[in-house]
Amino acid sequence: MSRSVEERMADVRRLLECARVLFAARAGLAPAIAAASGLTAEGVELGFASLEREATDAELRAFVAAAGDAGRVHVVLSANVFVAPLRAMALARAAAERVTVRVSPRDPVLTRALVEEAVAAGDGAIALVDERDVARVDAGEVHVYGRDETIAAVRAGVRPGVVVRGHGSGMGVAIVSPGAQMDGAADALALDVVAFDQRGCLSPRLAVILGSAARAEVFAEALHASLRALGTRIPRGQLLADERSDACRWRDALSFAGRVWDASDHAVALAPEGSPLLVPPAGRHVTVIPVPSPEAVVSALSPIARFVVAVGTDDLAALGGMAPAHARRSVLGAMQRPPLDGPVDRRSA
Amino acid sequence: MTSLGRRGESEALHARARSMVRAFERRAAMPESFDTLAVDLARFQERTVPGYARLCAARGVDPARMVRAVDAPAVPTDAFKLAHVFAFDATDAAVTFRTSGTTLGARGTHFMRDVGTYDVAALAFGREMLARGLTLPISVLVIGPSADEAPDSSLAHMCTLFARALTQGAVARQTFFVRAGSLDVDGVRARVAVLDPAAPAVVLATSFALVHLLDALGGERLALPAGSRVMQTGGFKGKSREVAADVLRHDTALAFGVPERAVIGEYGMTELSSQFWEATLVDEGARHGVYLAPPWARVVAVDPETLAPVPDGAIGIARVEDLANVDSAFAILTQDRVRSVAGGFELLGRASGAPPRGCSIALDEMLSSAGGFT
Repeated sequence: MSRSVEERMADVRRLLECARVLFAARAGLAPAIAAASGLTAEGVELGFASLEREATDAELRAFVAAAGDAGRVHVVLSANVFVAPLRAMALARAAAERVTVRVSPRDPVLTRALVEEAVAAGDGAIALVDERDVARVDAGEVHVYGRDETIAAVRAGVRPGVVVRGHGSGMGVAIVSPGAQMDGAADALALDVVAFDQRGCLSPRLAVILGSAARAEVFAEALHASLRALGTRIPRGQLLADERSDACRWRDALSFAGRVWDASDHAVALAPEGSPLLVPPAGRHVTVIPVPSPEAVVSALSPIARFVVAVGTDDLAALGGMAPAHARRSVLGAMQRPPLDGPVDRRSA
Repeated sequence: MTSLGRRGESEALHARARSMVRAFERRAAMPESFDTLAVDLARFQERTVPGYARLCAARGVDPARMVRAVDAPAVPTDAFKLAHVFAFDATDAAVTFRTSGTTLGARGTHFMRDVGTYDVAALAFGREMLARGLTLPISVLVIGPSADEAPDSSLAHMCTLFARALTQGAVARQTFFVRAGSLDVDGVRARVAVLDPAAPAVVLATSFALVHLLDALGGERLALPAGSRVMQTGGFKGKSREVAADVLRHDTALAFGVPERAVIGEYGMTELSSQFWEATLVDEGARHGVYLAPPWARVVAVDPETLAPVPDGAIGIARVEDLANVDSAFAILTQDRVRSVAGGFELLGRASGAPPRGCSIALDEMLSSAGGFT
């Protein structure tokens, strides 16, 4: 390790300072981010709340430890929420003295701004590159953020000896405890759902309600009300055609099997107890399902456990083994703001 | 409605569906219009399948005001995984078919109270499309399991049905060549070797089993008697490497020594009672990739968001209307893309969506990672 832990922490802190500068100047970036991301201006403003700007020393030590050590890291950003490049660049910078970043052509705004700010702040070790051929990376690591097929393509394309760390797509799940106060839990979950219009890998798309079907119905109705209220303050952006058609199919399937609370900018569906989990598409759609016991939660989630990056709950102490071991855990309402203590996605790369 | 009344109504609807099949076999005019029976089926299912009543209500459809088949909401195939799509109690089911995929831990279930309508419909159209011009009995080889081995597979049921019908009940001991999940390549080789060279045979196979067979043969040829035909059906479902349809057809024709036009595709689903076939054996003008519907079923390309039919020639999602699906769902919404063309519809496979925004996992990625859909 050529740089000390403290030096690496200092490099990350410098990026956090850049993030603070950009956060202060976010009004100037927001229109371009909205155009690229499909979020409304209000959605972009909410998304900026998830941009990491602070971290404790303990978090930064954990972050540096998780980053590993490489002579050089090439970051490939393919599909992310718009604030994700900060953590991706910080992780690369913690690992390496030289970092190159290939921006996502669909969402380049914050990445470009961060790199420019970092250079202006005196960090000449980070540079943007347009190179799309990972085979030109001759040493070090490639950190790739995107769909499984993108990660697989990068793995297949790199030279021997180049290490690929893949950060794939994923989803979040909410688990609502038997003691939860329904309206409060629904309000908090709605905030996690609305952020990035549910397009983040931490975004909850399923709400597992410990208890009876009647209890789950109460929660679904409360969540519908919470999403409606939040939607008036933070309107949803445009959905992609696939999201709209998937939503149509999901709504009809759950209208058949359960009940759907439908609105112009969101939908909540109640699935029958014991039914398989039907994951909705992104775009403020949530499947609520009653599950009778913690053991049944584990069983219900098992088919999708490998996709679950984050679990939010009203009762962290009671979560126990219900959440997949690799998933980040947080209270509802904070699922989109994980501490800067490592990659967002803790699944093995 | 009493259970007896429901059963009586169901039986009357089955009888009407079978009348259409019989008319087709006699090459007679249909006894009633497609829309008339479709609307009656939709009304029956709305009264007897609770989920369908909920779907109609959610879509704002009043069954009393339905006039045409397309007025009835289609049931997404996912519903077969989530709930009973059945007008009766599960205990009333004579057969229960399940989708082969275990996508995300779920298998779709199709209950049938009376499998007779499925059988007559499948046989009537299958015989016409696959065996027209052949003198029965003929030899049948199934590159798949038997119904005894896979009792919940609608495809195994259909292949067994065809084997019995085409051999006129004289099903050879060596007919089904997938046993306990393993393909018996030597068995296929041995059976082909003893076929009467003067009598055409029929091979029924899933696409992935064909790929395994062709891989195992490694270029070896198993020439079938002149005039033989091969049916291929289904996708790959992660059970073999994927091979383009034209390549698989070419390689299959080469391996069995038959013309490519004698290798025909069948499109069916566990959730249906009727099947659709390529028509290259019965229509000189037909081309591969275009599927023909029997008179009691049809495929309508619909807009994936509005679910309204798209103009002829435009690509949409397949809404399948099947009058033989009496006790479950007469209209099914699939995930397959189709396009209406002269003589039938083109099957274009699953939609490959636009690049997603964000890192939230897309449904297609989740499904492909899980090893395919149904």
